[in-house]
Amino acid sequence: MVSEYNNPGNSKYYFIIALIFSFVILIPFYVLVIIAFAVPSQTIAAYYPSIIPTKFTLTNLMHAFSGYSSVLEAAFIKSLITATIVGALAAFLGFHASYGLSKLPVRLSSLIISVLFFSTMIPSLTIAIPISVSFLKAGLYDTALGLALAQELVVLPMTIFMITGTLQTLPKQIELQARVDGAGFFQSLYSVIFPLALPGVLAAFLLSWMMSWDEFTFAIILSPVHPTLPILIYLDSTARGNILYASAFSLIVTVPVIIITMALSRFIKGNYMSSGLTG
Amino acid sequence: MKWEKDELTAFFMILPALLYVVILAFIPALESVYGSFTNIHSSFTLYNYSFVFDLYGYRPILNTFIVTASALGFQFLIGFVVASLLSKQFRGRTAFSAIFLLPFGVATIVTAVIFHDIFSSYGGYANTLVRALGGSALDWTGYFSTSLLVVVLADSWKNAPIVSLILLAGMTTIPPDLYSQAMVDGAGTFRRFFHITLPNLAPFIAIALMVRGISEFNIFAIAQAGLFPSPLLTTMTYSLFDIVNPHPSYAGATILLGFIMIFAFFIMLYRDRSARVA
Repeated sequence: MVSEYNNPGNSKYYFIIALIFSFVILIPFYVLVIIAFAVPSQTIAAYYPSIIPTKFTLTNLMHAFSGYSSVLEAAFIKSLITATIVGALAAFLGFHASYGLSKLPVRLSSLIISVLFFSTMIPSLTIAIPISVSFLKAGLYDTALGLALAQELVVLPMTIFMITGTLQTLPKQIELQARVDGAGFFQSLYSVIFPLALPGVLAAFLLSWMMSWDEFTFAIILSPVHPTLPILIYLDSTARGNILYASAFSLIVTVPVIIITMALSRFIKGNYMSSGLTG
Repeated sequence: MKWEKDELTAFFMILPALLYVVILAFIPALESVYGSFTNIHSSFTLYNYSFVFDLYGYRPILNTFIVTASALGFQFLIGFVVASLLSKQFRGRTAFSAIFLLPFGVATIVTAVIFHDIFSSYGGYANTLVRALGGSALDWTGYFSTSLLVVVLADSWKNAPIVSLILLAGMTTIPPDLYSQAMVDGAGTFRRFFHITLPNLAPFIAIALMVRGISEFNIFAIAQAGLFPSPLLTTMTYSLFDIVNPHPSYAGATILLGFIMIFAFFIMLYRDRSARVA
C-alpha cells in the first residue's frame, strides 16, 4: 500500500489511481448539478433515472427561487449574517488568544490548549439544549446573534491552533527589533505582527465563515422558526418532501464553499484540522 | 520586570477566549448533566433515564457504536490510500489534492440530500446502476445493513479528506532514510508499512481517531435527514428535545457526552502507550 521509494516509473500508475479517485469523488457533485438543471421527468420523477439526462432547463431553479423567494431570502440573509459574525469573532478572539499563548510559559499555555481541546469534545447537542433554554430567557433564541455565539464554539479552538501555527512561522527578530525601536506591546502587536499574520487570520476567518454557513446541529435547535439555509434544505427534503427545491438550495449553499475551499487549500492542513470538527 | 508585565498582558489576551469556552461550553454541559438527574421542580430523580431506556432500550447506544466503528474503519482505509498517494510525486498532484479536498467544504445536510438522491428507492441513481448490472432494485434505507452502508458512504465522502490530511501531515515527518534502510535490509512494501509507517504515524493516527471518532459519535444531520432511520444517540436526543420540558433530552445528551468521554479516554491511553513504545 505504501511504497515510499519514489520510482519514477510508478508515477503513471499514481496518476491513474488519482484519476479514478477524482472521478468517484466528483460523482455526488454531478448528481447535484443534473438534478438542479435537468428536466424533473428525467431525474427525480423517473423511477430509474438515466445517468446522463438529455433535456436541460432553468425552470427548476427559477421555480425554487420565485415560488419561495421570501423564505429563501430570509434564510440566505440569516445564514450570511450568522456566518459573518462567527468569522469576525473567531478572527478577533483567535488572533489575540494565539498571540497571548505564544507569550506565556509553556506549562501554562499547554494547559490552556488542553482546556480548549477538551471543549471540542463536548457534543454540540449536549451544549445546544441547555443553551436553548437560557437563550429563550435572554431573548437570543431564534436570532442570528444567538446562533453565532453558539456556533463560535465549533470554530474557536481550531482558529486558535491555526493562527498559532501562522505566528510560529514569523521570525522572532522582527518583533524584538520593533520593541528595541521603541514600539510598545500593543503597537508592535497591531502594526508589526498583525500585518504579517494577516494571511493566517484571513484563512481562519474564511474557514470559520464556511463552517458556520454549513452548520446544522446548533442551527436546528437554536433557530428553528426562522431557519438558516441548511435547516431550510433539511425541512424541504424531509418534512415537505420537496427534493427539487432542496437540491436547488443545496446548489446555492455549495457554490460559495467550493470557492472558499479552493482558495484555502493551501491553509487547510492536517495539523490545523486536529481540533474543532465535532458535530 | 518589564517581561512579567507582558506575560500578564498576554494572559489577559487569552482570557476572553477562555471565558467564552467556559461559559458557553463547560457550564451548559454541566447543566445538561445536572438537568438529567432532576425534574422540572429541580428535585433529584432518575426518572429521565428510566423514561429514555423504556422508550428506546439499548439500541441507540449499540447503533451509535456500529456506525462509529464502520465509518472510522472505512475512512481510515481511504485516508491511508489517499495520503500514501499524495505523499508521492506525480503529474497533476496539486490539482488532484484540490479535487480530493472539495467534499470537505460541502455542508453535511447537502451531503445527505445528494446521497438521498443517489440511494432513494424511487428515482435513485444507485438503483439505475444496480439494474444496469442485472440486479434488482433495493430499498436502500429500508434495511439496517444497507442504510448502514449508505450512511458510511455519505459520511466518508465528506470526512475522509480530513483523515487523509492528518495522515499526510504525519507521513511527511517520517525520515525517508528509514525506508531506504529497510529496503536495503529486504523489507517488502507491507512490512515497511506495518513496521515503519504505522508506528511512526501513531500520534497522528491518535489525533485523527480522536477528531473523527468524536464526530462519528455525534453523527446527526445525515441520519436525521432520513439516511439512517434506526435510532442513534443523537437522533434519539433530538426527538426527546422539548424546550418546555428538556429534562428527558438532558438524559440523552448526558449519555452521549459520557460515551464520548470514555472513547476519548481510550484514545489518550493509546496515544500515551504508543508514545512510550516509540
